[in-house]
This record gives sequence, C-alpha cells and structure tokens, in this order.
Amino acid sequence: MLSDREVLSTLAMLKNEHLDVRTVTLGISLFDCASHDLQVFQQNVRDKIMRLAGELVEVCNEVGDRYGIPVVNKRIAVSPIAVAACSFSAEQMVAIAKTLDATARAIQIDFIGGFSALVEKGFTRGDHALIEAIPAALADTERVCASVNVASTRAGINMDAVYLMGKTIKRAAELSATADGIACAKLCVFANIPQDIPFMAGAYLGVGEPDAVINVGVSGPGVVKKAIDRARAKDPRLDLGRLSEIIKRTAFKVTRVGELIGRQVAQKLGVPFGVVDLSLAPTPNVGDSVGEIFQSLGLSSIGAPGSTALLALLNDAVKKGGSFASSYVGGLSGAFIPVSEDLNIAAAVSRGELSLEKLEAMTSVCSVGLDMIALPGDTTAETIAAIIADEMAIGVINKKTTAARLIPVPGKKAGERAYFGGLLGEAGIMKVAQNGVQSDFISLGGRIPAPVQSLIN
Amino acid sequence: MKKVVISVLGYDRPGIVAAVSRILFEHQCNIEDVSQTILQTEFAGVFIAAMPDQNREEDLLASLQSELRELGLSVHLKPVTPPGEWTAPVSEPFVITTIGPDRLGLVAGMTEVMYRFGINIANLKALFRGGPNPLDNVMIYEVDVPVATDQAAFRAALAERARELGLDVSVQHRDIFEAIHRV
Repeated sequence: MLSDREVLSTLAMLKNEHLDVRTVTLGISLFDCASHDLQVFQQNVRDKIMRLAGELVEVCNEVGDRYGIPVVNKRIAVSPIAVAACSFSAEQMVAIAKTLDATARAIQIDFIGGFSALVEKGFTRGDHALIEAIPAALADTERVCASVNVASTRAGINMDAVYLMGKTIKRAAELSATADGIACAKLCVFANIPQDIPFMAGAYLGVGEPDAVINVGVSGPGVVKKAIDRARAKDPRLDLGRLSEIIKRTAFKVTRVGELIGRQVAQKLGVPFGVVDLSLAPTPNVGDSVGEIFQSLGLSSIGAPGSTALLALLNDAVKKGGSFASSYVGGLSGAFIPVSEDLNIAAAVSRGELSLEKLEAMTSVCSVGLDMIALPGDTTAETIAAIIADEMAIGVINKKTTAARLIPVPGKKAGERAYFGGLLGEAGIMKVAQNGVQSDFISLGGRIPAPVQSLIN
Repeated sequence: MKKVVISVLGYDRPGIVAAVSRILFEHQCNIEDVSQTILQTEFAGVFIAAMPDQNREEDLLASLQSELRELGLSVHLKPVTPPGEWTAPVSEPFVITTIGPDRLGLVAGMTEVMYRFGINIANLKALFRGGPNPLDNVMIYEVDVPVATDQAAFRAALAERARELGLDVSVQHRDIFEAIHRV
C-alpha cells in the first residue's frame, strides 16, 4: 500500500516542479554503414536510423504516459562522422549532415548528435574534412549537432585544433548571421568528452559502445529548488551539510525516474540500456532553473562570491544521490550552467552580476563548461580560441569534462541581446576582456603536453 | 478449521483491538489477517480468523455483540467465501489520483468508469477537507487494470469523466512511486 505522501509528493514534483525525463537518446553505431560511395553511405545511414529509431518517439510517449512522466526530448546520437565517413571530402560531409537532418525530421526528433571528431592528439583526413564542413553543415541544417574533442588528460591540448575551432566558430556564426549565429549553439568543443552523453549538443556514440543503446538524461533543477525551499521554510537553521543531504535525496528520486523510463524504452525497442546522465539541466522556463537554486541557498545571485562553493556542493550532492539510485551512471552528470538556456543565469548576466571570468571559475567544479554564452560579434577567432584553451586546461588538469559552446553574435555588441529561440533561449551578450590580443599565443600551435598525474597541487 | 470474517465499527478509543482479539482468543479463534483504519472519529477493523469446526459462529457473534456493545461498537460476522467465486484477470497495478474541489458524486462518478472497464479497486483513500489547497481534496485509487484493457480508451473515458466533475486526474503505473520513494 502506498502512502498519501508518496503519491502526493510525486504529483507535486510532476505538476509544480517540472519533474520530467529531459531526454531519451538512442545511440546508433554507423560503423557498419561505411562505404567508399557517398550515396551508398547515405542510404545505409538513413536505413539504419529508420530501422532502429523509427518508433523511438512513439515508444517514449507510450512509456511516458504509462508512468505519468513526460519524456520531453527524444534524440539520436550516432558514431563520430569523422570516423564513420573518414574517406569523404568536406563537401560530402555537408551532404551527410543533410542526410542526418532529413532522417531526424522523418522520425520527428528534435536533435541528432554525432557530427563529431576526436582530435586531442592529431587529425585524420576525415577529421579535417568534418571540421571544415561544420560551419555549412550546421548553418544548412536544423537538427544536426556537432562536437569536437580537442583535449584530454592523457593527451594534453591540441592547440592547432583549438585555433581551428576558433576559426570554425567564427565561420559558423557568419553563415547563420541572420539568426544571431545559431549554428554555434549546435557546436561544442570538448576536453575529455564522455562516450555516452545523452544531452545535446555534445551527444555522440563512442567507439567502445554497443551497436545501439539507450542513454537517459534526467532533469530536475525545479525539484531540487523546491525541496530546498520547503526544508528551509520548515527549519531555517538547516546548515549546508543538511541541505546537501536534501539535494542528495532529491537527486536520488529524479535518477530513479530516469532509470525506470530508460529501461522500459530500451526493453520495448529491443536495445540495451546504457546510462543515466545525472545532470541538472535547466530550460528557459520559470521554475526550471539551476540559477534559482543559488538564491534558494542564500546567495543574492549566481555569480556573486560564494557561487563556486555552492556549485561544488550542488554538483557533488547530485552525483552522490544519483550514483546511489543507479549503478549505471555516465554522460556528463552534474549541474549545467548554460547561460541562455536558464532564465535566472541569463538575467544575472544581463544585470552584470555574472561575468565570463566568474563563469570560467565555476566550470572548474560543474559538469560541463562555458555553455551557451553569447559573445560580441567582433570577438576574434584567436580570442575565442584562447577562451577555449583556458576552458580545456581546466578539464585536462582536473581530469574532468569541460566544454565550450560560444556564440559570437554577428553585428552585435556586449550588452545587446541574442535570440536563439525554443530550448536554446536568449541571453545578453557578455563582455570579453582584451579581445584580439591573443594572436601571438594562439598561433604558436602545437600540443600542450599531458599533465603529470601525481604532485596534485 | 473454518474461517470467519468479522467487521467492527464504532467511535475510536483505546482498547478496541484488545477487546476483539481477547474474545477471539477465548473462542479459540486464530487471527490470520487484520486490517484497521481510522476515518475522522470512526474506527473500522476487519478480522479474518480460523475457528475450530465444533465451535458455533452464532456463539462467537453473541459474545462479540454483548461485550462490544458497551464500547459502542457494531459487529458483523460471516463465513469467509472460498476462492473461486470471482477470479481476478491478469492485471497490472496502477494508481489513479484526482485533485479538485469536493462535490456530490465524485467517487461514484469515477468508480463507475473503472467498473465499466473491469478495473478492480485494491485500495482507496479519499480525503476532502475543503479549503484552497488542492492537495486537501484528493482521491487516491490503487487499482488493478487487466492487461487486456484498452488503455487509451480507459484513459480517455476517465479524463472525460474527470473533466465533467471538475477534477484533475492522473493515471500512473505503480512502479513509478516505488522507484521514487523506496530503496
């Protein structure tokens, strides 16, 4: 027999606190689609995705209805195209992106990830072709997401790739200038990219993964915030240790929902279940914000001194609660702080209370990095590359994933607004200190060596 | 041994279960199942007990009635129906929850739809306290939905009835509550 509290608190989480499954992402390997003939490759890709994912949306909706938990996004992550389509030219890579886009549209999913390359130690021919194709591929498609891993703790930082990504981001912004550079919102540059991320834009299916696999991204910043608010209203003397316990318990509940839904979808589709990604992923809706949690924990705003400490607490508590709830945890797993996708964080930027430098500091303890940050349109490729290099260094040295999703908004200046729409949201354009003075450093190129793994201070 | 089911109803106070179980003990009855609840001021308890074949049910009932009357309790006793009269179809456990202001006919309206679809109610808790908090006016039905049920049609019928009654209804597989709240 269930207790009233169990039933009613679940309903409250669903109806008032935005509890949902943020994404069910079907990973599909494209390695067996390989061909020297572009048309054959495209046909193989289309056929395989349609065969495995044709019913993904229907099955997710059916399972969501059964448990009363909405599955907000259904997505596909494919093998890195730079590997699966290694022999093709940049132009042909763009054609492949269009095939992925059309297939995503046909099965009614909003994003397909995996237009990706892993170049932390160097480039193959396919890597070069893919990166060259990224601007056109993202500008000419709607649903394709790209990622490039340029650094790892074991390989160091490929600074040639970092510079190339600075230029690629600038070009992608130019090609989508009429939409505030939206192509860049679908492009992540990574250090230590996990192979099983369900969240976009970084989702791809790693080389060590099965032929097809379901990975789930949970959500729940609203649930965490409300749990903290309730606890503090009941007992205003709660300290951070007790509040951390409340976040852990909440993360446990949210993770269990994700795992239950993921396993059911996997079973119905006849593919293995992979991981739950424990990330707190905000959306640009009131009450679904990571930034609001900072205020619930006593700060005036995210970005104020104390923000890094609170984010560290939040991230760790989410991981502890989630890893007790599921034995298969992966992906990014932590708190996201994407500026334009979180109303509260975007507002802190607009009020001048959250700077690029503070965001960078916070990424040393959060799960991803400089995410969905609108920059002035005149930010140079070299300065963008230098910002990326800093972010990669944080990941490489701290043995964690970091990423940069930066959007230099063509024709706009710091303080103006960029509009991306839908889940990507909108944000004030952040000030970049010392723009355009990094050419000498960035053009040095080469690879920053992998760090020593002892002497950990 | 034969089985009897005894229901006891009346104003709640300490000593009701003690009195019933003492009388059962004195009549050599072994209690197999008990469930009790308190609604507002009223106690309600159901006991299933095995009694020796040579004992008479009338004697037990007479003892219960005479001794429990002074506590203001009413008693009913009947033999337990052996299994087989109605066999439950293969079912799955769901939880139907409604939230919305009290009015006449809510339980009747919702349960009529459940009956129409052959859905058995395993547990029902309804709570109507009035006031502005929607969670003070809820019904929670734990039900067994036969696997053969047309889920879409059932959900649509339930949603339509809830709309007519001014209720917000949700239908969820029971596993979700177990997953969220229980380790």
